Amino acid sequence: MKKFNITDFSIKWGFLIVMGVLFTIFSILEPAFISAGNLFNILLSVCIFGTMALGETFVLITDGMDLSIGSTAALSVMISAYLMVVLELGGFITILLVLGIGIVVGLFIGFLIVKVKIPDLLATLGMMFLVQGLQYIPSGGLSIGRGAIIKNGREALGHFSEGFKYLGQGRILKVIPVPVLIMLGVAIIVYIILSKTKFGRIFYAIGGNSEAARLVGVNVNKYKVIAYVSSSFIASLAGILLAARVGRGDVGSQGTLLMDAIGAALIGFAVLGARKPNPFGTIIGAIFIGMLMNGLTMLSMQYFWQDFIKGSVLVAALAFTFGISRKHG
Amino acid sequence: MNKEPIVQVKNIGMSFGATRALDDVDFNFYPGELLALVGANGAGKSTLIKIICGYHSGYEGKIIIDKNEVDLNSPKEAYDFGIQTVHQIINQGVIQTMTVAENLALKEMLSPDQPILYNYPAIRKRALEIAYLMDLDYLDMDAPVFSIPQSDRQMISIARALASNPKLLILDEPTSSISEKEAERLFSTLLKLRDSGVSIVYVSHRLHEITRLADRVGVLRDGKIAGELIKPFSVNNIVHAMVGDIEQEAVKKEEVKTNKNVIKLELKDLVFQEGKPGLNLKLYEGEVLGLTGLIGAGKSELAAVLFGAEKPISGEMYVNGKLYEPENIGAAIKKGIFMIPEDRNNNAVFPDFSIRQNINIPFLNMFTNKIFVLNTKKERKDAKRMIEAMTVKCENEESPILSLSGGNQQKVIVARWLMTESNLVILDEPFQGVDVKSRSEIGQYLRSNIGKSTALVIATDLDEVIDISDRVIVFNHGVMVGEQEAGEIDKDKLIHLTSQILEEIYTGELNEKV
Repeated sequence: MKKFNITDFSIKWGFLIVMGVLFTIFSILEPAFISAGNLFNILLSVCIFGTMALGETFVLITDGMDLSIGSTAALSVMISAYLMVVLELGGFITILLVLGIGIVVGLFIGFLIVKVKIPDLLATLGMMFLVQGLQYIPSGGLSIGRGAIIKNGREALGHFSEGFKYLGQGRILKVIPVPVLIMLGVAIIVYIILSKTKFGRIFYAIGGNSEAARLVGVNVNKYKVIAYVSSSFIASLAGILLAARVGRGDVGSQGTLLMDAIGAALIGFAVLGARKPNPFGTIIGAIFIGMLMNGLTMLSMQYFWQDFIKGSVLVAALAFTFGISRKHG
Repeated sequence: MNKEPIVQVKNIGMSFGATRALDDVDFNFYPGELLALVGANGAGKSTLIKIICGYHSGYEGKIIIDKNEVDLNSPKEAYDFGIQTVHQIINQGVIQTMTVAENLALKEMLSPDQPILYNYPAIRKRALEIAYLMDLDYLDMDAPVFSIPQSDRQMISIARALASNPKLLILDEPTSSISEKEAERLFSTLLKLRDSGVSIVYVSHRLHEITRLADRVGVLRDGKIAGELIKPFSVNNIVHAMVGDIEQEAVKKEEVKTNKNVIKLELKDLVFQEGKPGLNLKLYEGEVLGLTGLIGAGKSELAAVLFGAEKPISGEMYVNGKLYEPENIGAAIKKGIFMIPEDRNNNAVFPDFSIRQNINIPFLNMFTNKIFVLNTKKERKDAKRMIEAMTVKCENEESPILSLSGGNQQKVIVARWLMTESNLVILDEPFQGVDVKSRSEIGQYLRSNIGKSTALVIATDLDEVIDISDRVIVFNHGVMVGEQEAGEIDKDKLIHLTSQILEEIYTGELNEKV
């Protein structure tokens, strides 16, 4: 039997305990907090950036960072709207094209990093601006909704297909939001890939020591490209969910998506003492952010506190991960 | 030695978590004396050094400098007391993006007394003075350090340490990545320094160096002092003190398994360095071939070509009689050509991984089903088998690799490549930072399990190569200059081959110029 050690215990369970305590406090102070409707609201509020964070996890594991995912999601929103409302394409073909564009963005980022050798932080920062700018071009900088007047003075006559909107607005059994299920589905797939398959092992190996990975025969560049493609692909999927929820193509919808997604993935380091990017921690991190925002709003926190509180949680989680556990290990 | 010690450490102890790294260690460091500190990996040498140079502040015991008890809390404090350290990891001692001159005169350059406007010519002038201390004036002062060889970087760190006129100079494995010629230069400088009254602490695994240089040897074992030897001493004396009662097992070689009828690898006129003649070489089934030579002799360059990391300039390679032209490392591994690279920490160990994950990483396909899901049970079983076969000292196969000592980490890396059938296993400096006992165990395992494969062991240290090989070949300036079978090893001849010809090449060049 191992001796009980308070530091080990808090590294492993500390974050989840804090989360549980907060949950209990919110429930006591505001009983409406634990209603099923509200709990689903929490999940609904995190599912877009939570999904994106799962993609970012691939990149973080290989010791990279993708700053372009917010822009990629926003681009997907505009492209979805443009394809359906202006070009009057169907929902299914729209989804395929948008996901395809996500893959192309990822391949291009991979090309910049692997072939042109731009450091990943800089390459994805550049792509963040590029992709963000790209979303304005098809519609001439205007939001796209039914009846909108676009560049050439023509009225847009198409509309979001019902099936497409179901992805963002639908509820299974009239309770469980479809986008939440999609996020959980993506989480399960990402978890299986990263924890159970050889690909996950190789991603983690590259993040741990990329030169050693090269010397055991891993094509490091190929896997880095795969990581960025996964990240962009999942970001464009998140963009589809966002477009489907809103039902129109609003410009600048990236908002705080990037920061929330990276925040969730980094908070995930502290979950179960993982100290490395992991999909389970990422989802918990996302839910934690959503729960905190929802609970504090119910307790009449004013909106302008939001970013400050999210930032504080992130810094505290990182301090916990890298301060306490590193010293101990 | 009737002088007063310049630095004394008394009852020094230090724990990291549950590990007792040092326990009740006493040492006196005298002026004008070269003390060698030896011990197996994990014996506590580095911890002791780090305490003396101010890196570890939570130590137990006392440090007395010039009869005053001091409390060392930072490297700066140790430095101000005249304690200078050259650390083992070269690139921590230099700033790669700065020039050679800036690195040599780093202390002056960063000093608060410097004028606000940067005066590079003055720095360069000071750097040249420092360079002369170690005869480094052949270096291009304006070249950025990332463009010069590792060995020169090491020399820069040492020259810089010498320039501050230290009272106590600590060198941690200073020769582990410099050539023999450079080492000789270092030795003569060290002896001069010693004679001028500096106290020198010299840490090295290379016991032959120590017998030449040291006035006294301090032996650490499991964090305690295991013995102190005063001149004269032999390598054997030191090894005995290091490993205790365990006999220094030379690798037993009665079982020679070389089968000269089967050629595993054949090189035909292989040119792997620009302007060098082609290499013709055969490696036989069951053979362990040792390759020695100084740094820069072309050993690692050959390994890189065999392992598919570099393309040969011309010539052909055959594996099992078939033409072998690897596109990349992955292709080489598919053909059964494996390599245990030099520099375990940077090139082989996955620090976040368990022992099991470190062993299995190259051959994950062995453990996956059709949809690439890993079979952890089988992984554990195979890893466990290798751990037992290699006598890796660990809790179990799930322990983190970083919980192991250096020697045991190396066993894990060797296990990684000996787990499956191969055609050739290249071991590049496999015994760097590996204690004597682990070295013998790794050698023994390799020899008894080489089976139908063949091994190429590359090492600069002649003894390491002779110890393990059925046949030894010598490289010098990219040319194979000698070959000896295990039965007929003539060490003096081998030393001659590694070094002497080099001078002949130089005279040859001189004559041409005249």
